[in-house]
Amino acid sequence: MKPVAQQLVESKRSLVLLAILGFFILPFLYSIDVLSIGQINMIGRYMTFAILALGLDLLWGYVGILSLCQCTFFCLGAYAMGMHLAHHGGPEGIIDANGWKLPACLFVVYPYDVGESSGDALVPFFWKPFWNLPLTILLGLLIPVVCSFVLGYFVFRSRVRGVYFAILSQAIAVAGWLVFCRNDVKLCGTNGLTRFDVIAPAESLTTFHPEDAKDQWIASHDGDMGQDLNSDGKLDQLDYSMAEVGFSLSEPNVQLSLYLLTLTCLFGSFFLCKWIVNSRLGRVLIAIRDDESTLNFFGYKPHQYKIFAFCIAAALAGLAGMLYIPQMKIITPSNMEAVRSVLVVVWVAVGGRGTLRGAILGALTVNLLYNYLTSEHDYGLFSWSPDYWPIFLGIAFVLVVLYLPNGLIEVVDRVKARLGNNSNFNPIEKV
Amino acid sequence: MNQFHSVIPFVFLILACLSNLFGQASEQKINESELLSLLQSLAVDDDEVRANVITSLAKSGDPQLERFFELYRQGSVYNWPDESGSVRIVVNEETVMDDDFNEFAPLFEPVSGKPFLVDGKQAKPDLLDLEDISPGRKIRTLVNSSKFLLRLFSKDQEVRSSGVKKCGDPPFLPEAVPFLKEIIDDPSVDAKIRWLSKESISLIRFSGKLEGGNSLTDRINALQELGKLKSLRANARIKNFQNELNESYASGRITAGVKRKLDGEITRVTKSLESHKDSVDLAGNLFRGFSYGSVLILMALGLAITFGLMGVINMAHGELMMIGAYVTYEVQIYFGHTPDTPIDSYYFAALPLAFLVSALVGLVMEGVVVRHLYNRPLESLLATWGVGLLLIQLVRIRYGDNIGVNSPTWARGGYEIAQDIVLPYARLYLIGLCVAAVSFVYFILRRTRQGMLIRATMQNRDMARSLGVRTRNVDRFTFALGSGIAGVAGYGWTIIGGVTPDMGQTNFIVDSFLVVVTGGVGELAGVLFSGLGIGVLSKAIEPMEFGDFVVGPVWGKVLLLVFIVAFIQFRPSGLFAPKGRLADKK
Repeated sequence: MKPVAQQLVESKRSLVLLAILGFFILPFLYSIDVLSIGQINMIGRYMTFAILALGLDLLWGYVGILSLCQCTFFCLGAYAMGMHLAHHGGPEGIIDANGWKLPACLFVVYPYDVGESSGDALVPFFWKPFWNLPLTILLGLLIPVVCSFVLGYFVFRSRVRGVYFAILSQAIAVAGWLVFCRNDVKLCGTNGLTRFDVIAPAESLTTFHPEDAKDQWIASHDGDMGQDLNSDGKLDQLDYSMAEVGFSLSEPNVQLSLYLLTLTCLFGSFFLCKWIVNSRLGRVLIAIRDDESTLNFFGYKPHQYKIFAFCIAAALAGLAGMLYIPQMKIITPSNMEAVRSVLVVVWVAVGGRGTLRGAILGALTVNLLYNYLTSEHDYGLFSWSPDYWPIFLGIAFVLVVLYLPNGLIEVVDRVKARLGNNSNFNPIEKV
Repeated sequence: MNQFHSVIPFVFLILACLSNLFGQASEQKINESELLSLLQSLAVDDDEVRANVITSLAKSGDPQLERFFELYRQGSVYNWPDESGSVRIVVNEETVMDDDFNEFAPLFEPVSGKPFLVDGKQAKPDLLDLEDISPGRKIRTLVNSSKFLLRLFSKDQEVRSSGVKKCGDPPFLPEAVPFLKEIIDDPSVDAKIRWLSKESISLIRFSGKLEGGNSLTDRINALQELGKLKSLRANARIKNFQNELNESYASGRITAGVKRKLDGEITRVTKSLESHKDSVDLAGNLFRGFSYGSVLILMALGLAITFGLMGVINMAHGELMMIGAYVTYEVQIYFGHTPDTPIDSYYFAALPLAFLVSALVGLVMEGVVVRHLYNRPLESLLATWGVGLLLIQLVRIRYGDNIGVNSPTWARGGYEIAQDIVLPYARLYLIGLCVAAVSFVYFILRRTRQGMLIRATMQNRDMARSLGVRTRNVDRFTFALGSGIAGVAGYGWTIIGGVTPDMGQTNFIVDSFLVVVTGGVGELAGVLFSGLGIGVLSKAIEPMEFGDFVVGPVWGKVLLLVFIVAFIQFRPSGLFAPKGRLADKK
C-alpha cells in the first residue's frame, strides 16, 4: 500500500479527465448534435451501473465479500423510485375507494380476489409512503440498507464467508426475483413498473397524501374550481395530471439534467468510497480481506465491519437504482435475475478489482461494448451478430480472470507508467 | 419389470379363452367387413336398428370411428345408393358449385376419410341423389354421446379409463350407464377400470341425472356407495348437492326432518372422504418430497465432487447438466423417437452417452480454465461462470431456444400403490437413477484404486505427490467424473422437465449449491441427507395454508431459504462438517 496522499494524487488525473469528459465534453457534443439525447441518456444509465459497481468493489475488492445479490438491492431502490413515479404518472388508472389514484401499471395487472371487479382495486398500503419524493429517496436508500443489515447480521455473525456467502447471496437474489415476479405482491409482476410521466412534481415534494395535494391545488386556484371538481368533490384523474407541475421525463433537458445528476452522484459515491477506504476503517476492511482470523485475534469484531460495508454497498446499489429508473422509464423483475448480479461482478473484475477507478472503468467499458456489440455489424469478411455477444463476454471474462487478475486498470496504469516513464511504478499488489 | 412381461401374455391367453367361451367379448374384435355391414344398416329407417348399430360400433372401441361419429352427429353422413340400389354409406361435408350453379357433393369414405373413389375418381354426385340418414329425435342423445361411449371400449387403457371417468363428470352421461354396467360385469376388464365404472355410475346416480330423473333416496344410496368406494371425485359434487338440498328445503319441497337426516348422512360420508383425502395427500406429499429430494441429490452429486472434494466453484455445473439433456435430445433424434413412433430404447442408450459427453466437456474445461484456479476459489467461480455463458450461447445458436425431449412411453402414467396414490413411473425412475448414481460414485471413491488416489490427493496433495501419485491425472479424472455425473442429472431431468439452453442457470445451479452447502462440503452423506431433507421439507411447506394464504412453490422457496439461513446459524459448515485441520481450509 502506498501512502494515502500519493494514491489521491495518482488517481486525480484520471478523475479530472472523467469529470471534464462527463460534465463538459459530452454535453457539448450533445449541444452540437454529435450525440443524441438518447445516447446521453444511455451513458447516464451506464453511470448508474458504475455506482452499483463501486458498491460491489468496496465490498469485494476491499473486504473480500463476493455478493451476488447486488442487483436485488439495485432493484429495491429502483422499485421505490418506480412506485413514486407511477403514483404521479399518466392519467390512466382509477381513483380508488380511499381517494388514492391507482397507478396505471398496477391497474392493468391488479390481482383481484374472486368476486372483485375493477372498481374494487385499492392502492396497497406499502405504495402509499412513496407519494412523497423526499420520503421516497429516503426509503429508496433505507430499504436496501435494512435488508442488507438483516441479512448481513445473520450471515456474517455466524461466520459464513467466502464462497458460501456468494452462494447464499445468489440464492437470495433468486428468491427476491421469484417474489417480485409474483403478481399478487402487487408490484405489477413480470410487467414491472412503467407509465411514468413526470419527476418531482410540486405536489410530491410537500404532500403525503393525494387529498393534501388536492387541497393545496384548490388553494392555489383561489377556489375557482367550478369545472374541475367532480360531483362528489373529488378531482378526477384528468385533473390530477393537470395538478402536476413536474418535469416531463421525455423532455431532453430533463434527461440531460438526470444525466448530470447521475454523474454528480457517481463522483459523490466515488469520494465516499475513497474516504472510507483511506480511513482507519478502510484499513480494517482490507485486513478482513487479507486475514480475518488474525484480525479476530486482535480483538476486532470483523462481522460488524462486514455488515457496515455490506450496508454501504447496498445503499449505493439503491441509489443507483433510483437514478436508473427515471432514465430507463421501466423496471421489471428481469433486472434482478441472478445473472444480472453476476454481471456486476464481471464489470468489477474486468475493470480491476480492488481499485475504485477500476470499477467505474469496468462498468462503463463492458456496458459500452455491450451496447456496441449487441447490434449487427458488417466487417467485410465477417459479420457480427448480436448472438455472439455472450460468447465474446464469456471468453473475454475467462481471459481476464486467467491472465489479467487486476483488470483493465492494470493495463491503463502500465501504459501510463510507460508514457510517463514512471520508474517507481509497481502494479497493485495481488489479492 | 420382467415379471410383468411374462405375466401379460398369460393374461391375454386367459382373455382369449374367456372370449371364446362366452362369445360376448368377441364383439370387441370387429373387422373391416363387419364394420362395413354394420355401417350399411344405418340406412335402415328405424331408430331402434340405428341405436343397435351405434351401440355395436361404440363397443368396437375403434379410434377411427370417433371422427365418423362426429360427422354422423352433424348430419354429414349419407346413403348414396348405386344403380342396383344397394347401400353405400358416404360422407359429405361441403358442396361445390359449378358455373351453372349446379350443386355437387364431393364424397369421402366414412371411416378412413379418404376420397370416395368411383372408377379411380372422387365421386361428385348431385346433392339430391344422396339419401339423408341422420338420426331421429329418439336416439339423438345416444348419437351425441357416441363419441365418448367409443372411448369406453378403446384398446388403449389410458383412453379407456379417461373415457370411463368422463362419464361421471359433469355434464354426466346417463346414456353410458348400461355400457358401464357391462364393463363392471366383464371379468376380463382391468380391475381399475371396473372400479372407475362403478364410481362413475354412482356419480351419475348421485347427480340425479339418470334418465327420467332418479329419486332422492336413490341419490343418497349412491352417495353411500361413493363413501364406500372412497371416491375423491365425489367431494366436488357433494357441495352442489348440499346447495340443492338447501334450495328445496327453502322452497318447501322437503321437510326439516328429511333434511336433517340427509345432512347427517352427507356429513358422515364427507368425513370419511376427508380422512381418506388427508392420508392420500400425506402419502403424495411424502413421495413428492422424496422424488424432489432424489432430483436434488442427483443435481448436487456432481457438485459434491467438483466443489466438495476439489474445492472448485463450478458455476458451469448447471451447463454440464444442460449438455447431458441435449445429448439425450440428440440420441432421441438419432433413434427417431417421436410420440407417434416410440423407440424407448433410446433412453437407455442416452445414459452412458450423456455421461461421457459431459465428462469430456468437463475434461476440456479443466484443462483450459479450471487447472489455473485451484487455489483461487472465488476466481474459479467467475471463470467457470464465463465458460457457462459461452456454453449456453453455443447451444442456443445451435438448437434455438426450446426443444422437446419426448419421454419414453413407459414413463407415462404411474403405479397405483394404493387407491388414489399414484407413483409416476418417471419419478420412480429418477429415484432409481439417483440410487444408482450415488452407489456408482460411492463405489468409485471407496472401492477402487483410483478412488483411493482421489481421496489421498484431495486430503494432502503434496504428500500424495511425493508418494508418486500423478496428481494432475487425478485432478483431471475427478473433475471429469463430477462433470459426467452432472450430465447424468441433466439426462434424468429430461423425463420430468423442459430443456432450454439456460436451464442450468435458472433451475439447477442455486439449488445444487444450496444442497452441497447445507450438507457440508466434502461428504457424500451430507449431500444425501440435505438433498432428501430439503426435498421433503419444501414439499411439506408448499401445500401449507395459513387462512386464505396458500404457501405455494414461490413462497415455499423463500421460506426454505430463510430456514437454510437460520440453519446455517447453528451449523455454519453444514450437516456433516469436516473436523480437525480440514475445517480450516477455506
